[in-house]
Amino acid sequence: MIGVGTVFRRELAAYFTSPIAYLIGAAFLLVTALVFNSNLTLALTQEPVNPAIVPNALSFFLIFFGPVLTMRLLAEEAREGTLELLLTTPVTEVAIVLGKFLSAWVFYSLLLAATLVYQIILSNVTQPETGQAIAAYIGIWLYGGAALAVGLLCSALTESQVVAAFLSVAVLLLLYLGELAGQIVASIDMANLLRRLSMPGHYIGSFASGLVRFEDIIYYAGVIAIALFLTLRLVELRRLR
Amino acid sequence: MIQVENLCRRYGPHTALDGISFEAAPGEVVGLLGPNGAGKTTTMRILTGYMPPTSGRAVVAGFDVQTQSMQARAAVGYLPERVPLYPDMTVAGYVTFWAQMRGIRKARTAAQQALEQVDLWDRRRSLVRSLSKGMRQRLGLAQALVHAPSVVILDEPTIGIDPQQVIDVRQAVRGLGVKHTVLFSTHILTEAEQVCDRVIILNQGRIVAHGTPSELRATLYAGDRLYVQVSKLNPEAALKALKSATGVARVEPSDGGYLVYGQPNIAPGRTSQVRSRRPAG
Ligand SMILES: Nc1ncnc2c1ncn2[C@@H]1O[C@H](COP(=O)(O)OP(=O)(O)OP(=O)(O)O)[C@@H](O)[C@H]1O
Ligand SMILES: [Mg+2]
Repeated sequence: MIGVGTVFRRELAAYFTSPIAYLIGAAFLLVTALVFNSNLTLALTQEPVNPAIVPNALSFFLIFFGPVLTMRLLAEEAREGTLELLLTTPVTEVAIVLGKFLSAWVFYSLLLAATLVYQIILSNVTQPETGQAIAAYIGIWLYGGAALAVGLLCSALTESQVVAAFLSVAVLLLLYLGELAGQIVASIDMANLLRRLSMPGHYIGSFASGLVRFEDIIYYAGVIAIALFLTLRLVELRRLR
Repeated sequence: MIQVENLCRRYGPHTALDGISFEAAPGEVVGLLGPNGAGKTTTMRILTGYMPPTSGRAVVAGFDVQTQSMQARAAVGYLPERVPLYPDMTVAGYVTFWAQMRGIRKARTAAQQALEQVDLWDRRRSLVRSLSKGMRQRLGLAQALVHAPSVVILDEPTIGIDPQQVIDVRQAVRGLGVKHTVLFSTHILTEAEQVCDRVIILNQGRIVAHGTPSELRATLYAGDRLYVQVSKLNPEAALKALKSATGVARVEPSDGGYLVYGQPNIAPGRTSQVRSRRPAG
């Protein structure tokens, strides 16, 4: 599609030229390093090593990393007036939204790839289950894509990056808590439904223990598709205001 | 190049454009003149394909902005009212990005040409955030020209920059009329007169006047006003002489002298008879 690549490259470059993105990247690596380190000491002395420990931790921390990685994407364009100009170029809204989403997902993928270092360290000290690790990484990669799509959607709702970040933390928290809510609801059907809708519900029980299930992949793909579709609609609405 | 027929635009109950029609021929520089809220920006946003009209039709470079939006957008260069900037990009990167968005293959070369045209090539490696306001305005202009559009739409390109740069921008706009059709908006009558082949005056969403600068001057000119003091003649004779001069509408005694009002709709200078007879005082 014309323009996807252009938007994608500009946004990805923006991640690498913005000091805030470096801060986010540093925080991301710090958090995962701490989790890995504490687990490693524990694992060496007491329990067997869990190779999915870093992705598991991310399934929680993405509630914050997703929003800060995406808050800028559309809110900033609306505030600076560049969105108006973007929408007068012969590039469709679909291409603009896709380019932005892909840039965030690729940047996240690079951060995630950096955490593979821990797997290498792990394989030097013990014999981790490679299959489980691979499944967990595939899972958290998809999970991250969904979190970023939700973040992008919230960024399309407002001109303020801060508001966008708060909104998407709230939405992701709700999608996260569905898992817990499933445990306190009396009705079993309701509990199942909540768990089915929650983001970790499709990660913890499957990817995290080495299981790659079609339905879970569909779930994350569905969240991405719905969030991007709504984002597209919001961008189109800007024209009418 | 630009044809607008009966264009209307409403924001909720508020009517911003109330059936305007005008045309611009190839190579013409047309000014949209009007006070705040007249509908200049709204007109431009419709022509650039940013927003659809509520009713009416607009054709740009032969393409209907609604049914052939992509072709129309490709033919238009646009500088919005507030220059849209990416502060963290370099000057060259910024213009190259817009060239690519407009589908230009040799985006870098096109960016170089546009930056040379607005005299920013030697700042190509600077970050956009480090540019002065006038430079930002010129950068915005470079972005609007980078794809050699047949129609250039500039929304108040001279707002908020110093007088020397205003002159530069006006000259640049004037120069664009050779290759491009230019539609630009302003609040300032003299600016419109200096720069445009034709001026359209908008007020509250309607066209209130339309014509070449000299035509408009003839219809809108309210007449000269002159303060005259007379020392050698007696007051009645002086008053009589002033009143009988051609081009004088009215004379009022004031503050030991006389205020002489020229007739409306006479271009300045035609009241020269009063001027040449002005007694030493
Ligand atoms: N997005 C919007 N929502 C609601 N009303 C709007 C919107 N944009 C413009 N208007 C209204 O439409 C009218 C025309 O606005 P427009 O911006 O076209 O004026 P303008 O001639 O460009 O004025 P200025 O010289 O101040 O830039 C104004 O009354 C304005 O309040
Ligand atoms: Mg305006």
